[in-house]
Amino acid sequence: MEDFLARYGFLLVTILQQGLLGLSLYFPLMAGQLSLASIGFYALGGYVAAIMGTHPELEALRESLGFFMYPLEWLAALAVSTALGLALGYPALRLRGIYLALATIAFVQIFGVVVLNLPIAGGAIGIFDIPQPFESRLAYLWFFGPLLALVLLFLWRMERTGTGRLLRAIREDELAARAMGVRVTARKVQAFVIGCALAGVVGAMSAPLLNTWNARQGTFDAAVACLAYVLIGGARSKWGPLLGAALLVSLPELLRPLQDSRMILNGVVLVLACVYMPRGIVGLFAGRSAGRQA
Amino acid sequence: MNDGLTLAWLLQNLLNGLSIGSVYAVFALGYTLVFSVLGIINFAHGAVFTLGAYLTYVLAVGEFGLNGLLAGVTLPFKLPFALALLVGALLSGLAGVGVERLAFRPLRKRGADALLALVSSLGVALILVNCIQYLFGAEIYSFPPDVLGELPPALLFHVGEGLVAMRTIQAVLFGVSMLMLTLLVWFIHFTKHGKALLATAENPDTASLLGISVDAFVLGTFFISGLLGGISGTLIGVSFGLAGPYFGVAYGLKVLAVIVLGGLGSIPGAVLGGLVIGLGEAFLPPELSSYKEAVAYTLLFVVLLVRPQGLLGANAEEKV
Repeated sequence: MEDFLARYGFLLVTILQQGLLGLSLYFPLMAGQLSLASIGFYALGGYVAAIMGTHPELEALRESLGFFMYPLEWLAALAVSTALGLALGYPALRLRGIYLALATIAFVQIFGVVVLNLPIAGGAIGIFDIPQPFESRLAYLWFFGPLLALVLLFLWRMERTGTGRLLRAIREDELAARAMGVRVTARKVQAFVIGCALAGVVGAMSAPLLNTWNARQGTFDAAVACLAYVLIGGARSKWGPLLGAALLVSLPELLRPLQDSRMILNGVVLVLACVYMPRGIVGLFAGRSAGRQA
Repeated sequence: MNDGLTLAWLLQNLLNGLSIGSVYAVFALGYTLVFSVLGIINFAHGAVFTLGAYLTYVLAVGEFGLNGLLAGVTLPFKLPFALALLVGALLSGLAGVGVERLAFRPLRKRGADALLALVSSLGVALILVNCIQYLFGAEIYSFPPDVLGELPPALLFHVGEGLVAMRTIQAVLFGVSMLMLTLLVWFIHFTKHGKALLATAENPDTASLLGISVDAFVLGTFFISGLLGGISGTLIGVSFGLAGPYFGVAYGLKVLAVIVLGGLGSIPGAVLGGLVIGLGEAFLPPELSSYKEAVAYTLLFVVLLVRPQGLLGANAEEKV
């Protein structure tokens, strides 16, 4: 068992981390909004944590707080992501469908270029030697595990209360929801901002894990990977993003013996999954009962 | 040196912007055609663009690079550039057909969610790009300077006090792009097949009732789209080099901004969008040049907020 954990600990942590990112896309999707902005907020949160963890002027603060510096970084990332999420969400969520997706891709790309040009973000090299609270990478389960539990609990509550129903109503029929008096834009922005804030916190937790943080953390490829977790796992269930992340993160590891051609097979799996599992992995288990919802 | 608005400065930037912008337009039309017929963005288009550039390179230069599976292989022939461009484009068109068969047709037959087609086309893009990497290696390819034959590298014009330099490549970029645009407009508006294509785009069900084979026209659309992608890939490759198998994906994203800027599914919109973004990049002040890659996305963002249907797009108010 210990051998297994030593070998696959990082994989396990990565699955949780990527699964959380997938969940950050799931929030706006609950209201039927396809946003790819999460990865930008993930990068933003990581930069907040990386700067707070390495900036020389904050040395005294780090000394006095010790381990509690990390929760402070999460809170800071949460605050910054929420603020930017609100600023981006109000104009962007007037758009819908593919337009919203493209606007959020544009945000991710602009963010990447801006970050490359900001001296405080370390330019192309990025920020390195970010302090790490744990020796072993597996120990980061103490970061991501509770966060995941919290998010799942939050989602479980939300799906059973008014907010979740309102979001579902918007997803099923926006016009009808509006006619029933749902403040559609406000609700969409709410779901979007929750996703942004979650992605920001995941980024802040990931900066120490990865030790370095640079503009490559927020690429289009990564945004697509998150979307793939949700769609492959199942976009109509909170378990979908987690299952999708588990499959797609471990796939390259499983295919490692194939070396160079494994990325080709990764693509093949994406295509086959779209064709044969249109409702995702969750759809396979849900069988007919889920057909009603789709 | 650049004291603002001299005529030469203006002409030089216009020239730079129009030549690259016209290639963006050709590339964008590949997306636009598919979008107007299927209502889906084909994310594999950037990979086809890359493929076209590599194929033309191999056909024109006759050899592969140093570290792919095909390293050291030489072709028994070298095609002149124009012919290599044509053959490369036709092969890219076939690749476009392959993309349709793999990523789009199975989903269309099942009536699946349009979002899934987005992911499956990304999957095909991943397959294509990594096959290219496997076969050609990850290194940078650049076309030899004499690939266009014995032409001078640039022509200089005296304009007032200043000089305007027109690189031969820029003239080729602009000329080939304009030729492709003209051919495409002619094909769509003045041939029977083009009109059938428009009808399929307008309403596939009605088109099929009228005896148009929708499947065949979708395939044809992907063929033309791939052809345009391959040509634009080659043109960008000749001008700036082939920076590895992923270079098309970056251009592909930028050109997504082009089509939305002009209006999704609008052919004049794609052309206008391409030129606007090409000119926008050319006229960016030199002190902001590190932000060049953000120009397209910033323009896209602003246009989406002010005029979500794009510059020339029809106002698509969603109804139930």
